Formats: sequence, structure tokens, C-alpha cells
Amino acid sequence: MAALAFPLLSFALSFYISEKYSWITSVLASFLLLLGALASAVVLYQAWNHPPFNYSLEWFSLGGYAFSAGLHIHNVSALMLFIVTGVSFLVHLYSVGYMAGDGGIRRYFAMLGFFTFAMQGIVVSGNLLMTFVFWELVGFSSYMLIGHWHEIPAAAEASKRAFIINRVGDAGFLVGLMIVWAHGHSFDIVVLQQLPVDPTWMTLASLGIFCGVVGKSAQFPLFTWLPDAMVGPTPVSALIHAATMVAAGVFLLARVHFLFTVPTLHVVAVVGCTTALLGAVSALAQHDIKKILAYSTLSQLGLMVVALGAGSPQAALLHLFTHAFFKACLFLAAGAVIHTLHQAQHQSHVHFDVQDIRNLGGLQKKLPFTFLIFVIGGSALAGLPFTSGFLSKDAILTALVQWKGEGFSWKLLILVIVALVSFLTVVYTFRMIWKIFKGTETATAQLHISEPPAVMRAPMAVLAGVSLWIWFSWNPFDFSGWMYLNIGEVKPFHSGIVSIASAVWVMLALGVAYATRQATFGSPALLNAFYFDRLLKQFVEKPILQLAALTHHADKKWIDGFLHATAYAQLIVAHLTGWFDRAIVDGLVDGVAGAAKGLGSFTRSFQGGKIQLYIFWATFGIIIFIIWTLL
Amino acid sequence: MNVPVHHFLYLGAFLFSAGLVVVISKRNTILVLLGLELMLNASNLNLVAFNRLHPGTLQGQMFAIFVIVVAVCEAAVGLAIVLRIYQEYQTSVPDDVNELNL
Repeated sequence: MAALAFPLLSFALSFYISEKYSWITSVLASFLLLLGALASAVVLYQAWNHPPFNYSLEWFSLGGYAFSAGLHIHNVSALMLFIVTGVSFLVHLYSVGYMAGDGGIRRYFAMLGFFTFAMQGIVVSGNLLMTFVFWELVGFSSYMLIGHWHEIPAAAEASKRAFIINRVGDAGFLVGLMIVWAHGHSFDIVVLQQLPVDPTWMTLASLGIFCGVVGKSAQFPLFTWLPDAMVGPTPVSALIHAATMVAAGVFLLARVHFLFTVPTLHVVAVVGCTTALLGAVSALAQHDIKKILAYSTLSQLGLMVVALGAGSPQAALLHLFTHAFFKACLFLAAGAVIHTLHQAQHQSHVHFDVQDIRNLGGLQKKLPFTFLIFVIGGSALAGLPFTSGFLSKDAILTALVQWKGEGFSWKLLILVIVALVSFLTVVYTFRMIWKIFKGTETATAQLHISEPPAVMRAPMAVLAGVSLWIWFSWNPFDFSGWMYLNIGEVKPFHSGIVSIASAVWVMLALGVAYATRQATFGSPALLNAFYFDRLLKQFVEKPILQLAALTHHADKKWIDGFLHATAYAQLIVAHLTGWFDRAIVDGLVDGVAGAAKGLGSFTRSFQGGKIQLYIFWATFGIIIFIIWTLL
Repeated sequence: MNVPVHHFLYLGAFLFSAGLVVVISKRNTILVLLGLELMLNASNLNLVAFNRLHPGTLQGQMFAIFVIVVAVCEAAVGLAIVLRIYQEYQTSVPDDVNELNL
């Protein structure tokens, strides 16, 4: 519990510290998150390889059904809790440097703490209803953070967009929850696990829940908010992409994997595959550093979802965990580049878009540390051997090889696409690194650039460190290390051939990346993610707008007329009740008050401090008493 | 001369009522004390009058003398208080001494 309490405390305190001392907020928030991370490390230590810890208490009851809220902590959630809090702490620490001097620093840290708290809630919740509540809180806090610089129209736009697209998915999630409730009369995950499965309804319910995941984890077709969300502060992007928000979808999918039927899993695999391919291809054509990373996240999330669809939550979770580290690392490194260039620009009054990699180049000499971090993170993203990314990608590929089975089916196509995606990942990652750090300096040549402060370098170094293989498995070519074996029951199917093939494949991709390092993939279709936005606009937005116009008309004519009539009726009734109120009710109240006042002043007159009056009343009382007793 | 007892009682009741009226209605504290004396004397009259019903005893007279002694003390103390109040507040009207009442 304590692990959850600290980020919430950070959220609350950040609002109470005055504007003048806003620097305290940043230090205090980071410190609280450190405590939170330590607390979750304790949780991890205690829960690791122990029987799942269940705690449930009745929340409220409605119509005879009791709704409970509870915690469910087992290996996966304890590990996830630790990773979320840990990455969040590093992001907090990094933000101290990155956001220094920002006007809304208190709001920023408050929402960062709240975001972490909400994500932790999803992770430890043992109850789908509670998950849903925290799910919405994550959506809300991401809205606040993406729109942190709300004076920029694009940021306000993007935050609204992220929020609304998430709502679309959440509607499906809610429907799924309703179906689950109608069948099981419980939201408790432990209870649901023992539920007899009705195939048709379970398919519908799991499709509904998958809708929520599609929204939150930015899968096809609800992915457009994620690249747009890049207008938010870079540490926020790191948090959204690595530990919270998009990870929530995949985590939930792994959590309720038992609810998913075979047809749903096929849908899941196809959607994930589409997203992975779309993201990878689009990432090739982007110019904006953060957009490249955003599309790469899309494709990595797609890979996780494919693994889930292939029935291997273990592989998906392993990739989720490794991805959390190397993607946070990459974002923080990209943030460091942006931050230092902004600072340099500020000093020399030169202006160009620092996020555009066409303006960058040759920064290796000026930013050697950031370059190193970028290379490590990028290698992990690309899945080079000796990195965590290699292990988890290997796990996914192995799971897919096992899933497709013998024979020739559409599943083979998915395997091929996933292999292609991992190839493309290498290409776009190293193309980006090349463009930023190698080659000749163009726009940045005259700028005086220095490395970011230590408070930003430390989190980057830590994250780059945990992007190496050693934390996940001792053997750099065998993904079934301690983590993989302990996050699921299924014994791994490990094939050395897959590992070697994947290593060779990645090396080949590296060669291609080097060969095409100067090429630009400048297709406008790729740049705009196949105009998916415009497609949505054409085929979804226009009919909806027409429908809206129609309903608007009906609304004006009929509903408004009816409303006006009722409004008049209400007005008349209101006048009547007003008169009644004034004359009768108020009169009654005033009368009672007046009576009390009169009685009060009457009795007060006995106590006026006039001695002779006291004597008079005493005598009067005695006379009355005597008359009473004698007669 | 044998006056019936009830005549004394009438006179006592009249004196007592007159004293009560003086106590209640007079504004000056000294007059209030005067009224009190009147009431005490009315009760003395009653004591002496009732003693006539028990010839050979003197309890009534004893009580009356006792009351007179107490009344003297009371008058002395009361007048002293009135004097102090007058020195303190420049008034002997009890209603004007309302410091505790405010």
C-alpha cells in the first residue's frame, strides 16, 4: 500500500507548496517517488515466488450485489509495480533537470505523481471494476500531461485527441465488463478464473475488453493519438511509452488472458501485427525524433499484442518489461538532445526545429555521453544481441514459431510480418542514430552545446544499464532466464535456431541500415502513417458529422419545442410554489421565529438584574404556591 | 381590655403588605431597607399576638426580641453596604448598580 501512497502523496503535496517555492516540489516529488520505488522493491521481494496475495473488501453494494475492491499481487504485478515506480522515479529525477524553470512545474509534478499512482492502481488491482476506474484515471492524467503546455494549440489539440480516442476504446471495455458481470456476477479476477466459459459471450466480452486495450495501447485503428501526444514534455512521453498508459493495455491483456477465446486471440494477433507493420514502416519516414520513437513504440506494442494473440503472455510481458527500460532510456536521451539544443539555441538566438533530424548531425563529439546512451537504448530497441530487446524479441519470435505449428496457414504470414518488423526496427533505429550523431553538423555547427546536467544523466545511465541482457537472463542468447520463467506457468519452448536466425537477421538489418543511412524515405503517405487520420476523417467523421447535423435539426425542431413547453410549465409551477413558499412556508417560519423571540424577551425580562423585580416575582410565586396548596 | 387576636393579625398583614409594597416599589435602597423593617415588625406583631393564645408562655415575645436583634444587625450591615455602594457608584438606586449584569 505504501508504494501506492507515495506518488499520491506527491500529487497532493505538489498542490500545496506555494508557487514561490516550486523548486521544492520537484525535489520532494522525486524523493517521494524514490520512497515509492523502495516500497515497491520490498513488495517485489516479499511477493516474488510466493502464492498470490489477495486482499479484497466490499466497496459498495447495488441492488443486492456487492461490488468489491481488492488487491491481487503475484509475480507479474509485483514486478510490474516495481518497474512502473522505478521508471517513474527516474523520470521524476530527470524532469527536475528537464522542467527546471517551467511555469507549471507544480501542476506537472502533481500530475506525474497522479499518473504513476493510477498506473500502480491498474497493476495491483485484483478486480476489473477497480481496474477500470484506475484505467480512466490514467486516461485523465495523460490528458493533463500531454496538454501540459496548453498554451500551444497543438498540445491542447493532442491532449483532447488522446482523451477522446481513449474514450472510444473505453466504451468497448465497459461493454466487455458488463458482459463479464452478466455472466459471472463478479469482477474479481480470481473468481473469474474459475468461471465456466460460454464461448460466444466470452468472445464478445473479450473483444470488448480488447477494444479498451486498443485505445489505451494505441493499436490499429485507434493509434493516431500516440504520435500526436509527442507535443507533451519529453519525460512525459517517456513515462507514457515506457511504464504507464500504453503498457496498461498490454498488462491488462496479459492479466485477463484467460478470458480470451480462440477467435478473439486471432483478432488480437491480426490487430497487433497490423499495428506493428504500420508503426515500423511509418517510423522509417519520420523526421521528428520523438515521432520516430512514437511510431517505434507503436510497432513494439504491436509485437507484444501479437505475442498475446499467439497465446504467450510471458513473451509479451517480457517484452513489455524490457521495452519499458529501453524506451524510457531512448526517450530520455532524445529529451537530452532536445533540451541541450534548446538551451544552446536560447543562448545564441538561432532558431530551427531541434526535433527535426534533418537539422541535426555530427553531435557525437559534442554529446558523447548521450550518444552512448542512445546507442545502447537503440540497440536494445533494434534487438541486437547482448541487449534486453534481443531476448524479448527472441521470446516473441519463438512463441510465434511454436504457435504457427506445422503446415502452411495465415499464421505463417504473421510470423513473416513480425520478422519484417524487427528488420525494419533495426533500419529506422540506426538511421535515426546516424542522422543525429554521425555525419556532418549542419544547423548546429555554430552552437555551443554541453552535456545535460547530472540529474538528467543519472536516470539515463541507469536505464541504459538495465537495457542490457544481464538483468533478464544470464545467457545473452537464451531468453528463458529467471524473469521469463517466473511470470507464467507455461514452460518455455526454446529453440536455438530461432535465436541464431534472429541474431543473423538483425545483423543483416544492421548492414542494410548502414547501406541506406543517407537515404530518406520521404513518401508523404509514410510520413502521415498512410493518411490514416484522413481516412478516419473521410469515412468516420463525415458520416458522423452528417448524422450530427440531422440529429441537430431534429433536436432544434422537436426536442427544443418540447423543452420550451415544459420550461413554461415549469416556470408557472415555479411561480406558484414561490408564492406558496413566501406566504405560507416563510410565514410559518417567521411566525415561529417571532414567537421564539417574543418568548425569549419575555423570559429575559425576569432576569433583568433588577433586584426588586426578583423580589416581586418571588413573592408572586409564593402567593400562587400558597393559594395552590391551601385551596 | 380584650382585643380579639384577629385584629392584631389584620394589622400585621397590613403592615407586611405595606412593607412588601415599599420593598418592591421604592427606588432608593434606604427606603427598601425601611420596607424590610416594616415587614419584620409585622411578623413581630404576629408572634406577640399568637403568644396570647398560650397564656403563661413567653416564647413569642422571646422570638420577637430575637428578631429585633437580628433586624438591628441586618440594618447595620445593610446600611453599611448602602454607604459603600454610594461611595463606589455615587448612587443608592439598586437598578443603577448593574455592573455584574452587563
